[in-house]
Amino acid sequence: MTIKKMAKLLPLLAMAMAAGAHAQDKLTLQLKWVTQAQFAGYYVAKDKGYYKDVGLDVTIKAGGPDINPSQVIAGGGADVVVDWMPSALATREKGVPLVNIAQVFQRSGMQLTCRNDSGIKSPADFKGKTLGVWFSGNEYPFLSWMDKLGLKTTGGADGVKVLKQGFNVDPLLQKQADCISTMTYNEYWQLIDAGMKPEQLTVFKYEDQGVATLEDGLYTLEKNLSDPKMSEKLARFVKASMKGWDDAVKNQADAVKIVLKNDASGAQTAKHQTRMMGEIAKLVGTGKTGQLDMKAYQRTVDTLMKGKSDPVITKMPSGATTDKIWLAAQK
Amino acid sequence: MIRRHVIAALSLLVLVALAAGLLGRVQGDQPHGTDAAGVWIVLAGWVVLLWFVLGRLAQLQGRVLSLLAPAVFGLAMLYLWEILVVGWDVPRVLLPAPRAVGEALSVRWNVLWPDFKQTAISVVAGYCAGCGAGFGVALLADRYRLIQRGLLPLAGLAGAVPIVGIAPIMVMWFGFDWESKAAVAAIVTFFPMLVNTLAGLSAVDAMHRDLMRTYGAGHAATLLKLRLPSALPFVFNALKINSTLALISAIVAEFFGSPIYGLGFRISAEVARMNVDVVWAAIALAALAGSLFYGLIALVERVMTFWHASYRA
Repeated sequence: MTIKKMAKLLPLLAMAMAAGAHAQDKLTLQLKWVTQAQFAGYYVAKDKGYYKDVGLDVTIKAGGPDINPSQVIAGGGADVVVDWMPSALATREKGVPLVNIAQVFQRSGMQLTCRNDSGIKSPADFKGKTLGVWFSGNEYPFLSWMDKLGLKTTGGADGVKVLKQGFNVDPLLQKQADCISTMTYNEYWQLIDAGMKPEQLTVFKYEDQGVATLEDGLYTLEKNLSDPKMSEKLARFVKASMKGWDDAVKNQADAVKIVLKNDASGAQTAKHQTRMMGEIAKLVGTGKTGQLDMKAYQRTVDTLMKGKSDPVITKMPSGATTDKIWLAAQK
Repeated sequence: MIRRHVIAALSLLVLVALAAGLLGRVQGDQPHGTDAAGVWIVLAGWVVLLWFVLGRLAQLQGRVLSLLAPAVFGLAMLYLWEILVVGWDVPRVLLPAPRAVGEALSVRWNVLWPDFKQTAISVVAGYCAGCGAGFGVALLADRYRLIQRGLLPLAGLAGAVPIVGIAPIMVMWFGFDWESKAAVAAIVTFFPMLVNTLAGLSAVDAMHRDLMRTYGAGHAATLLKLRLPSALPFVFNALKINSTLALISAIVAEFFGSPIYGLGFRISAEVARMNVDVVWAAIALAALAGSLFYGLIALVERVMTFWHASYRA
């Protein structure tokens, strides 16, 4: 080969080397629901370049109705998912080895909202009433609570009639249900926006009833944790994500803008997202963002196992959590 | 003749014995390497033997014996499913073995049977409402040209409505219980019935119609004595199509808001809980019910339209 020919190859070689140097590791995150402020931390981390800074190219997949993140990761559609602990533990018991690597939400946002004109003033009044709850993995805290109250979910005068509610608040507006499940940051405000006044509603927060379970956390499969390269990627991911969360909680207006920008459906409004961001900030732990409090974990496990007739999980989970990734992310 | 039967019976016996042996081998300690290759080779040979046996069985005659070939074929398919799932160690959350499905069916029968009853109510109610309405409107459209020209395009719109779009709206209108699912089934079954009935009413021989005219028969008499009986094959066509459509649409409608029982609810709730064997059990139950429903209508059709050319074969 002549010198001239080799010189022609040089730019190609340089490009290849440059590409190699800037190669980012790919990672796919599956969210639990549609793009909204509930996942602001991840969108902030992506848009403000925190993922890029740690050398990650993260694809954020939005969730939606009947998309169960545990199923997605079981089917190989994601490397890490956002899911609620009851669903993850139940799935783990079914044979899909999910492990919690970070606990983003320290408090539960789940609540049961009832119409005052249904005559419900306390959980003792639930007997014989119609209650709505979502399924697809969100029903576990509700079923635990009903079990704790000793109420059969099959209806009848001594139990409660349960409706599988869709992802809207119509059953309460149309009086098809006496109470429906709402999140403090989402559906409750949809009720207010639809014209209901706070004085017309009675809210039972799961935190106040002592049946709260841990919600949004990051989960991955066991095989990813035994692979050192993947574990290292996950540690970088957790580091950048928690940075994104800290940023989102501190700069909520920015976070709302970023979420709206990433909303491909165009269905979200600034008013709703601003409210949501404010409520979400109350749920994300202050201080050690993302660290799983083992006492809270144990409380969740106890709540899920206490079910007399239909416990969500039947055996004490082992190996369902790890602090390896979170600790590596602190470095 | 006897010799043919004996060969068929003997080869069937060999088939069953070999199948049992293979399954036992695979379920014991998982064979590895050359052992595994051996199992797959024997299974391939088994399939060839199955082909031979089915060929022999298909030649058998008689009401009971002629059912043997399809029965063996069905059982062989179930067996192949079982051995492939067990042999390849397919994860249970992806595809459970038929035995797991059967177990789920019996263990959760106390839940699946009320589910089935709930869905059945909405299917039957919706089916009757939709087919009845379709038939009635077809008679009206046949009598009054105005209705035909005005209504038919609108009915076409009704037929094109996607179930997943209409189901939440019906839930809002009629509530969470079976009424909304029946409404969805009624909407879905309306158009096929309307179109088929109209086609049947107009598919009468011109000569037959002229004959009725020469007898001085009015519209009603012509309808009852000539055109409706002639339209029956078309009507039954629609009834058969609608039987499966009604079941499918009722089950899908249950995904969008239901009380916590019903086959559609069971499928959607259990798939989210990764109880895939219960999902398959519900599917099997729905498929069985749908086939029986279809078969029942086909039987009634045979009785009522025995004169049709398709039965002369």
